[in-house]
Amino acid sequence: MKNQQRSPYKEALDKVFHFLSGLVPLTRSEFQLFLPYLEIREFGKKVMVVNSGEVDRYVNLIVQGLARKYLPLKKGDITLQLATEGHIVHSELSFHTQTPSGPAIETIENTVFISISFDSLQQLYEQVPKAERLGRLLMADLYIRKDFRYFDQLQKSTRERFLEYIRTHPHVLQRVPQKYIASYLNIKPETFSRLKHLLQPKRNSRA
Amino acid sequence: MTNEEFTLLAEMLEIRNFSKKQQLIGVGEVENYLNFLVKGLARMYFVRGNTEVITHIAKENEIISSSASFLSGKPSSYCVEALEACTFLSISRQQLQQLFDLSPRMDKLGRLMTTYFFLQKEEWEYECIRLDARERFVRFVRNNQDLVQRVPQKYLASYLNMKPETFSRLKHLLHRRLKNPPL
Repeated sequence: MKNQQRSPYKEALDKVFHFLSGLVPLTRSEFQLFLPYLEIREFGKKVMVVNSGEVDRYVNLIVQGLARKYLPLKKGDITLQLATEGHIVHSELSFHTQTPSGPAIETIENTVFISISFDSLQQLYEQVPKAERLGRLLMADLYIRKDFRYFDQLQKSTRERFLEYIRTHPHVLQRVPQKYIASYLNIKPETFSRLKHLLQPKRNSRA
Repeated sequence: MTNEEFTLLAEMLEIRNFSKKQQLIGVGEVENYLNFLVKGLARMYFVRGNTEVITHIAKENEIISSSASFLSGKPSSYCVEALEACTFLSISRQQLQQLFDLSPRMDKLGRLMTTYFFLQKEEWEYECIRLDARERFVRFVRNNQDLVQRVPQKYLASYLNMKPETFSRLKHLLHRRLKNPPL
């Protein structure tokens, strides 16, 4: 990362530092070793980050903005992930095996990523031994979250999925088109609109 | 991996035998082992309502474990069961942790294994979304001739996320095709 870029993005890098040190005890000076491998990437809104059929070369941490990952299908797109600040987004199978991606990734808002390319990541693993442990724990963390979401979706009713998601992601309703949230929660758009009424405070009709 | 590293790993492995239909781990228990299947066949599943949903069928030279529980140390949502008499080479979480503390190369091994679990799960989920019953059936049969012979049909149907009747209908269709190939 170039020096002149460093200061305006100090806050962004702080976020990366906190993210990583949540996985492994990490000193600031150890973190300095990672910097040459990272890239800042900026995208406008509604820009394709990865197209279906393309090899995904980057893992991205969202510093600011919002992106969605989806499977483009004949029967309509299926939203797999709505990623906001602090989330990691990449097309996992494509990135790790460097083969063409099934899912596509598109920004919804202007988005800033701190990214590492596949090649830089391999170099980082070779040059900075501690990165191996970080990589291991990051993958374990992603795996556990994935499994949790899978069960969560299976066990909860449509209504429960809706209410819980809105409760834990209150800003998303303002930021993401409704059809994407509905697809992510595997709820029909009509049902989603109906459920939205649950959110309005009930009027006391007798008063 | 150097010889010394492999020797160290080998010393930590336990041989574990299970008879047919015996459970390695049940729902609610914490998975303490990563199991490499030397001989036999095993399945991982969870129960939804009154049906079993199979998420993984492992054969020789594959790893099977309730991985999310193994990685997190939290109770397992899955059950792992031997479909045939099985012999595993297993390593416990504590032993594996010791191995990781020895060198970054062991961390690397762990990273690659975890990535593999992740991708395997990702692929299974995508296939459930992307392919219809017939496409899942054809793809599976093409890639897993051996499992079609060894695994009871109802389990294969569950793994492919289809009703047993659908599985058997598709199987007959395939047989007819093979006997009377289209000109």
